[in-house]
Amino acid sequence: MNKIPIIIDEKKLETDPGKTILEVCRENEIDILTMCHLKGVLDIGACRLCLVEIEGVNKLLSACTTKVAANMVIKTNTERIKKYQRITTELLFAERNHVCAVCVANGKCELQNLGYKVGMDHIRYPHLFPQCEVDTSHAWYVMDHNRCIMCTRCVRVCNEVEGAHNWDVMNRGHQVRIISDFNTAWGESVTCTSCGKCLHACPTGAIWPKAIVQGQLEKKPGIINELMEKRKMKL
Amino acid sequence: MNRQDLKTIIYAEKTKDETNKYKHKICVCCGAGCISSGSEEVMKKLQEEINTRGLENEVEVIPTGCMGPCNQGPLMKFLPEYNIYQKVDCSNITAIVQSQLIDKKPIEDLLLFADSREKPFINAQEDPFFKKQLKIALKNCGHINPERIEDYLVHNGYQALDKALFEMSPEEVIAEVKQSRIRGRGGAGYPTGLKWETVYKYVNEQKYVICNGDEGDPGAFMDRSVLEGNPHRVLEGMAIAGYAIGANKGYAYIRGEYPLAIKRFELAIKQAKKMGLLGNNILGTAFSFDVEVRIGAGAFVCGEETALIASIEGKRGTPRPRPPFPAESGLWGKPTLINNVETYAAISPIINNGGEWYSEIGTPKSSGTKVFALAGKINYAGLIEVPMGTTLREIIYDIGGGIQGGEEFKAAQTGGPSGGCIPAEHLDVKMDYESLVSLGSIMGSGGLIVMDKSSDMVDVARFFMEFCMDESCGKCVPCRVGTRMMHDLLQKICDNKATQIDLDRLEELAVYVKETSLCGLGGSAPNPLLSTLRHFRQEYEERIVNHELRELH
Repeated sequence: MNKIPIIIDEKKLETDPGKTILEVCRENEIDILTMCHLKGVLDIGACRLCLVEIEGVNKLLSACTTKVAANMVIKTNTERIKKYQRITTELLFAERNHVCAVCVANGKCELQNLGYKVGMDHIRYPHLFPQCEVDTSHAWYVMDHNRCIMCTRCVRVCNEVEGAHNWDVMNRGHQVRIISDFNTAWGESVTCTSCGKCLHACPTGAIWPKAIVQGQLEKKPGIINELMEKRKMKL
Repeated sequence: MNRQDLKTIIYAEKTKDETNKYKHKICVCCGAGCISSGSEEVMKKLQEEINTRGLENEVEVIPTGCMGPCNQGPLMKFLPEYNIYQKVDCSNITAIVQSQLIDKKPIEDLLLFADSREKPFINAQEDPFFKKQLKIALKNCGHINPERIEDYLVHNGYQALDKALFEMSPEEVIAEVKQSRIRGRGGAGYPTGLKWETVYKYVNEQKYVICNGDEGDPGAFMDRSVLEGNPHRVLEGMAIAGYAIGANKGYAYIRGEYPLAIKRFELAIKQAKKMGLLGNNILGTAFSFDVEVRIGAGAFVCGEETALIASIEGKRGTPRPRPPFPAESGLWGKPTLINNVETYAAISPIINNGGEWYSEIGTPKSSGTKVFALAGKINYAGLIEVPMGTTLREIIYDIGGGIQGGEEFKAAQTGGPSGGCIPAEHLDVKMDYESLVSLGSIMGSGGLIVMDKSSDMVDVARFFMEFCMDESCGKCVPCRVGTRMMHDLLQKICDNKATQIDLDRLEELAVYVKETSLCGLGGSAPNPLLSTLRHFRQEYEERIVNHELRELH
């Protein structure tokens, strides 16, 4: 297949057509912030952290869902993009009750890392402090909605990789919640296979195994893609 | 049924009309607005009255779609005199029938009348409300019985489909639509002909036609009135589109809050199928086209095309990033044409009269006519259709009969929660796509809310932000959290508790949400706020608490 030339952050690159901007950036070690992206499941462009500027396009487009085209000139680190990444991060932190000090994911949390990366020293918006449930009904796992950022990685993994479709989304706007089956307790779900993939897909401390305490959560989001690659090889 | 059979039916209906035994025709508006003010009872009572007087062979009473001045309903129109009675009550029907049909003299006190005028017009066609309008999409609304396909057939119905199928190639149909320069009436104003051409170019694929009837802007009811008043026109437009792009299946997505529109549209599909104007081998040709109704479940965001498609597929109604656009990958991943109700309603006159005729109406960049739903502090609240480029002043003062109680005009809100406010100094703005955008508003689907000086513009912005906050699908961060934050800040300003820092943050957030949101809902949610900030900044600043509170920034 013929390679196509593109320019990312003034760096001339050659790449295969059909790839997304995010894929090309990752291959060439150009840092792009993501949150809802998880290698191995479909991209939805929801977190808006990976937005990039493309010459000749007046809208900012999400790198994870936009495919590269020949002679595209892409900018990933302009002042505007950096400013918007910081606002998005602050809004994510202000939305629910993210208290790192008592969280199982402390030190291993993608949201926490994002905060460090964008240099968020404080949050300029008032915390919304919603009343969120903690679902401990499952025998092994806990779902803490206080720490959920609605990236829907668990929903996609459960549907696309495990094929169980235990998780889905209910309500609209800031009232959206991840639900198990038709909004039943996780422990009573008839579709959940207790496979634990959502645990590894979750970027924060929202889904965790019961046996651990603060700061001890080990997540391996990479296993989702490994699994998918192995399946492809088998086919 | 083939083409000849159809012509026979139309001929029979027309001769029936000519040798009509009826001397008078009374149209009673049975649009949702008039029904809710009691027009069905009025019609029943009227028929009883006609029957008791033994006039049933002289007078025909028919239910029609929307006539226009909805807030004056129930409306009753006497033809051929063209006397329109407003706010008809069961109690004054006897008097109206007596004087109109027996004494041959209308009762002036009960005729259609805006408070700002000196006296009512005996012949309603002379009222500027009707005189200044140009009805193309709404042509038959208020004249024909929407529940009878024969009524539509007599008024040139399905002639455009016939013409397209027998005299034109799909390329010619698209060329005609392109020449008309009609732009999408759903709000964004994308050239319809170009969209059709894009979908047409995909060969050997299953394609779909979708009609977007998920009208959700507060104060807007154009699509509802078209679907209720003349469903066949929309159906015909969809069939022509199907023929042009090469699709054999159409979906009409109508919001669930429009039960009457759904009922009438479903009835129209049934009637058209029976007549062979829909279904397999339409009018004996090789073209087959079927339409199904899908009912919206009350989400505003499903008016966004990709969310609407997801909803038809049975998924959660959330938008997805574009590209790819639906024209390339739409319903079930197939090329899909999606247009608004009003756009389809304008197709058959374009085919009948030619694209050139349509392109000469309106302004060079925005051709044709636009339906507006007037609401708020205006004398005639209701449905109007005017050529593009008509000024706001003409719409409000000539057609709308001015502001209620003779109050002073303050602002007009166009485009609903995605639009903005136009202040009094821009009353002479021409209503077309570009002019409205230059004022920080948008044409939108055509909602036009008129406000007098009692309206508080900060509260208006807060109201629309609350709407967007509740209707955000919750998928992307800027819209889900950003609208909530902006709403809270606006509420703080309304409560006189905000500081200058809050206002600065509000402005920063507005631009952020506008530029980073995934779909048009979030992308336009800050518009009411930004436009009121632009034209009525003083009202915001008056409420800012003036103290030296410095926050960490």
